[in-house]
Formats: sequence, structure tokens, C-alpha cells
Amino acid sequence: MKKPLYIFSSGRLERRENTLSLETQEGRKVIPINSVSEIKVFGELDINKRALEFLTRNQIPVHFFNHYGYYIGSFYPREALNSGFIILKQAEHYLDREKRMYLAKGFVAGAVNNILKNLEYYRRKGKDLKETISSIEEKFKAVSSVDSIAELMQVEGEIRKTYYESFNLIIQVEGFYFDKRTKRPPENPINALISFGNSLLYTTVLSEIYRTHLDPRIGYLHETNQRSFSLNLDISEVFKPVIVDRVIFSLLNKGQMQLKHFDSDVGFSYLNDKGRSIFVKEFEDKLNTTIKHRNLGNVSYRRLMRIECYKLYKHFMDEEIYKPFVGEW
Amino acid sequence: MRYEDRISIGGTLVWYYYICKREVWLIGHGIEAEQENDYILLGRYIQEIFYTRKRKEIMIDNTIKIDILPGRKVIGEIKKSSKFLESAKMQVVFYLYYMKREKGIDMEGVLLIPEERKRIKVSLTPELEREIEEVIEDIGRILKLEKPPKAVKIPYCKKCAYRSMCWA
Repeated sequence: MKKPLYIFSSGRLERRENTLSLETQEGRKVIPINSVSEIKVFGELDINKRALEFLTRNQIPVHFFNHYGYYIGSFYPREALNSGFIILKQAEHYLDREKRMYLAKGFVAGAVNNILKNLEYYRRKGKDLKETISSIEEKFKAVSSVDSIAELMQVEGEIRKTYYESFNLIIQVEGFYFDKRTKRPPENPINALISFGNSLLYTTVLSEIYRTHLDPRIGYLHETNQRSFSLNLDISEVFKPVIVDRVIFSLLNKGQMQLKHFDSDVGFSYLNDKGRSIFVKEFEDKLNTTIKHRNLGNVSYRRLMRIECYKLYKHFMDEEIYKPFVGEW
Repeated sequence: MRYEDRISIGGTLVWYYYICKREVWLIGHGIEAEQENDYILLGRYIQEIFYTRKRKEIMIDNTIKIDILPGRKVIGEIKKSSKFLESAKMQVVFYLYYMKREKGIDMEGVLLIPEERKRIKVSLTPELEREIEEVIEDIGRILKLEKPPKAVKIPYCKKCAYRSMCWA
């Protein structure tokens, strides 16, 4: 079973014979190449071309994060899987306005439905979320009639804003107060958690896309020409509430994540090393949690991201229109 | 497409043709299965083999072993069970047909199923030649379809590397 490798410490990643070797202050760790599915780098890492070549041959993407845990970029090895047919279909669905809108709305619908699942769960647990839920349901009605990506993004933004404002009702933990979503930079611990969790999710989905025939550069909701990868952002929208938000709620409400796990710099907050490793562990546990799929038996959340890609295949092949994943809780 | 590619893809397509037509379409459209399908360019190997004195074993996906016995011009195939016998047999037939048509070399085939102590000779009879021609024709027809043939649940799905793509 291949697993993601997270590198928090600083050091050197090398190829030795046919294995990976990670040299840090603690000494040398040998990592069998066949045990690694992707690498996420947080520490100060030295890596040379020989190692990158080795990773390419073994089809292992590498994602880099800076000192504060912000995403820097990815080493996306040359495509292992190529199907002209799929790429053309992907582009066709982007270029045709109606087709593009359908998919963009699909990702938003998935996101909103999963947001509502979270809210309903906490409402059942006695949190006063009635207004939040009806306000989001009301805003969501506008989605069917919008006919531009900009408008759709706006509706989605408003829904997220309403949702995030309810975090104070869901997370009632001393010292963690959420006023508004701030991204660049995240101004307080909850914002730092959201940003960090989202970057982990974006790179995880990107690694899954890498193992498919889809081109991560062609997205539908997120503008294709603005950034290097966008399809992973689209698919992430659907999974954010299911993975990232639930991890945050759980870590804070169970007291596993505390203020001591954050450092702050002028006007912003970020997770320290300990905080990051706590988050990553919970995040990975969540990804490995399995649920029952109607046709495929027990599948993990990570696997569901891959299945989401295959649902796009079926959509592109005119077999079955895309319906986003909605998690149960 | 180089002929080496054509023969390796072709052989694979024949194998799948007898199992699942949808899979034929997917492979034909460059959508490979999830597992690392190690498609070996058989043509190139076959050529190599004619220059070696050693018996060569060639692994093709799904545990087919093709042995080329130099000097004897035999394509041998070792299989675990006779479960997909027809598939395996017709794949060998395809290679035999190909070698005959493209290279002008007449070869013999043999299927070995050690666990069942079976040894089945495969020769390119006129009937088989006609059948493989029809199959090649039909594969061409499937590949021209706008969309893949509908997914049908068969026992093979359980272990198939396309399973998630069909049943997502």
C-alpha cells in the first residue's frame, strides 16, 4: 500500500541505489520507493536532479510548502497516462459555455450540499444553526439561474461567508474566535487551519488527478488561465466541507488542537511544527476513513476523489452526467 | 502507429474482446487501466528473440507468459487456469496470424496450464484465421463507436483494473 510521505524536518532527499534516502539531523532514513505515492515537503529540503528523475520514473509528485505552511508549488512529473480523447473532451466542455456552466455549477452544488450536511449535523447536536441553514438554502436557489462563472463564484462566496460565520457556533472553544475569513495572510488560528487544510486537500486531489487521464490545468469553476492547476481546485470544493472542515471541528472540539500549536507573526497566525503534524495525522486518518459506495464496496475518502475523476470521465464520454459527491454524516 | 505498438495493442485488444467489449473501447481510446499495465512491445521482443539462442519468457499482462522457443518457432503460453481459455487462445491465434501475415513466418502455439496438467496446441487453421479476421474487423467497429459499450456487470469486473471507471 503506497502512502504519502510528509517531510517536516530539514535535510536532504536523495536516490540511493533504487531507494529513497532522507538525511536529517536525526540520521538517515531509508524509504522504499514503492511505499510512496506522493511527497509533501514542509522542511528545508535539498533535492537534486537525480532524485527528481528517480521520482519521475516512479510517478511520484512532490508538493512544496513554505515555512508558514503555504503552498509553493508542485513537481508534477511528466504525464504517465495520456488519452487524447479525454483531453479533447475536457477542453470541449470548457470551451462550450453551457457545458462549462454545468460542471462549474455541479462543483458548487456539491460544495453547498456538503456544507449543509455539516450544518445539519451540528444542528442535530443542538447548535443554533437554523438561520444559517435557511439563509444558505435561500442563497443556493440563485445558482440555477446564474449564467456566468463570475456570478456563480459570487453566490458561492456569499454562501461560504455565511457558513464560516457560523463556525463560532460550531466551535465553542476558549481562545478560538472566528470573525471573518482572511486568507492572505490568515489573521487568526481558525483561518490558519482553513488555509492549511485547503492546501493539503488541493495537493491531495492533484496527486489523484495525476493518476488519471485528466489534465489538471483545465478546470471549470476556477479560471483555467489564471493558474497552473485548476481542476484540483474544482474537485476540492466538493470535498472541503467533508474533509477539511470536519477535521478542524474535530481537532478543536476535542481539544487536540490548542493555541500552543500556533505561532504568530506580525498580524497573522500559522501552525507550528507540532500543530502541523497533529493536523496532518488527523487529515490522513480522515482520508483513510472508508464509506460504503453503492457499486464499489468500501472506499476511502481519498479513493472517492479518484472516483470523482472517473465520474468526470463518464460525463465526458456522454455516459452519465456528473453528479457531485455528497457525504453522509 | 508503429507496427510493434499495433501488435502489442492488437493482442491485448483480442484478449479483452473475448472478456469485455467496453474494455476494448477504453484501451483503444488510450484510457489505460488503473494498475500499471505493463504492455510489452511484443513485436520488438519477437524480433529480438529470433536473434537469441535462449528460450525467452515474455510476460504479458494478466499473467500470460509467452515463451518463444527459438528454432522451434513456438509461441507457448502458460496460464494459471483455463478460466479465460478462449481469450488466451485467440490472443495466441492473433500473434500466429500476425506473424504469418506481416512477417511471412508460420508458427505454432501452445497453451500450458500446469495446475490443470493441460497442454493445448494452438494452430492457425483456416477456421481460426477467418474467426480472427472477423474479430479484428469487429474490434475496428467497436473502436469507431462514439461512446464505449455500456458497462455490464460480469464476474470479471471484480478483479478488473477498470472497475472504478465503469462503476464510479
